[in-house]
Amino acid sequence: MSDQGIKSKPTYGKIAGDKAARYQLLLVEGAEIPAEVLAEGVDPSAFETWTVAHASALPAAPMMDEAPGTVRPFRSASHMFSALEERLDRETMGLRFYAVGAEPFLWDAFNIASAAGLSQQEMQFAHVGPKARRIYCVHCRTLMDGVTTSIVTCTGCGAPLFVRDHFSKRLASYMGVQVDAEAPGEVPAAEELYK
Amino acid sequence: MTVQFKPAETFRDMFNFKKSPEDILRFPFPFPEDEYMYSVNIEPHVKGGPTAAFQAAFDIDEHYIAECRERERVLKEDPKRCQVLPHMATAEWDTLELIMESLASDYPEHFSLSKAGDVWTWVNRPLGIHQTFTFGKAETLPYGPFEYITRQVQGDFTLQDQRDDMLYVDGGMVTTQADWSFEFNIGMSFMEWHGPVPVAHEAGVFERALKYLMRLQYGQPVRRLNWTMTINPRLDTSPENYPVWGPDRTTVTPENVGDKVHLRVELQTLFRLPRSNAILFGIRCYLAPLNDLVKVPKWRRRLHRVLRGLRPELAEYKGMTRYRQTAVDYLAALDDGAPTSKGIAPEIDKLEG
Ligand code: HEM
Repeated sequence: MSDQGIKSKPTYGKIAGDKAARYQLLLVEGAEIPAEVLAEGVDPSAFETWTVAHASALPAAPMMDEAPGTVRPFRSASHMFSALEERLDRETMGLRFYAVGAEPFLWDAFNIASAAGLSQQEMQFAHVGPKARRIYCVHCRTLMDGVTTSIVTCTGCGAPLFVRDHFSKRLASYMGVQVDAEAPGEVPAAEELYK
Repeated sequence: MTVQFKPAETFRDMFNFKKSPEDILRFPFPFPEDEYMYSVNIEPHVKGGPTAAFQAAFDIDEHYIAECRERERVLKEDPKRCQVLPHMATAEWDTLELIMESLASDYPEHFSLSKAGDVWTWVNRPLGIHQTFTFGKAETLPYGPFEYITRQVQGDFTLQDQRDDMLYVDGGMVTTQADWSFEFNIGMSFMEWHGPVPVAHEAGVFERALKYLMRLQYGQPVRRLNWTMTINPRLDTSPENYPVWGPDRTTVTPENVGDKVHLRVELQTLFRLPRSNAILFGIRCYLAPLNDLVKVPKWRRRLHRVLRGLRPELAEYKGMTRYRQTAVDYLAALDDGAPTSKGIAPEIDKLEG
């Protein structure tokens, strides 16, 4: 059950950087860059880095310098994303964009960067943190965060959903499909798979 | 020969659907051999072919009016079954032009198109539409150009943008699909949207198909046949509505199998579009109950052998597990074991029985 063989399930590597880049921006869903996400020989002082402090008591604009080596903390991931669009709007060709964090964070970042005109070849993603999934209920379009089990009850329509490996980058979500649609009531036991 | 449209047909609820003998004989039966496996089964989309379904760029048959009405219903229930991303506006007009010109030239008794510069007049007699509009000006049509024209053709359509050496599904009209979600898939790459298909990735089928498509030339469309099975003549077997149609799969019995189980064939066509360089993908769906197909001796032998020998991964993927054996048993009794000839043509002019 753990490998459903579905090729849209994203795979991740390490942040390798790009020596040819004009400028490199790194987003981290955490207070620090986890050492294990950087490929060998990569020096993070080459990046402008944005981090998430998960704390409300940050000054409104703690550090506004935009330069390689600067680290700018945000209160939350949402706080960070609210500044990202404007930041990318001021960029030109040659930007490389990196993100490090859990899966929904990575693909939310991807969608903002795509909307700003970056192509996937200009981005790198490293997956760290919990493996919990964001699930899209294909029947009622409710999104659910933090799903760790093979089957989950939809908070929108109540359907017991099987968590497929089919992944939509646009929705930053895996698909949930009613597991007992053919024979109502035949719901297998949920397994803890995505921790 | 003019077709007799059947506007009262329905593809849900009471399933008021019946094929005429001519409609059965024109069915694009998908099996050229007694066994089936995924392959890059792509050929030029030229007129003529083994059955009458291959006679036109966009095939119109006796179910035309009823299928357009079914599409209208699905769109009322779920407007997001038709979406086109903003960068595909040129491809929308390319599609409208291709479909209008093809229909008017293939079926002059039903459709006509006249042009005075950019001011075009489109007449669709079966649906009672008479529309004058300005090509390139979306505000002169009641819907966006892609939605406008695909509401007037049978079958689903998707628009593929070609960039970074890849195809992306960036638009579509998808109301008669075989269990895939357009809302979930929009924006995906060729490899991503084919993600759930078993065996074919490992066999290199998608890699080769993609390479082929990226070189598709304007004016040289191609086609392929794809198939699955559906219980009852239901067009909207979307994952969105799986809780509605899924229980049908448990209703098949040895007594009703011939009426209930339908072979669902997609005549898929691919056109390079001239201005946008996008690819239009047509997914024209045909349904036939086993009871109709067994009236063609070659088809009943072959369908039996294909279903009997189908790889379990494919049967599972196509959702046939619950009723496959019942269908095979029904067909086995009708297979006399005689050899079959290659190709899909029915090889008879009149049905048996
Ligand atoms: C470029 C336009 C195309 C689109 C938009 C498209 C779309 C799709 C979709 C949405 C599915 C269902 C996947 C799922 O389970 O979610 C599918 C299945 C499949 N596609 Fe395509 N496809 C295209 C072209 C092709 C081509 C050129 C081939 C040629 C080999 C191909 C071969 C297949 C096969 C073998 C399946 C499995 C079908 C089954 O067993 O029922 N597709 N396609």
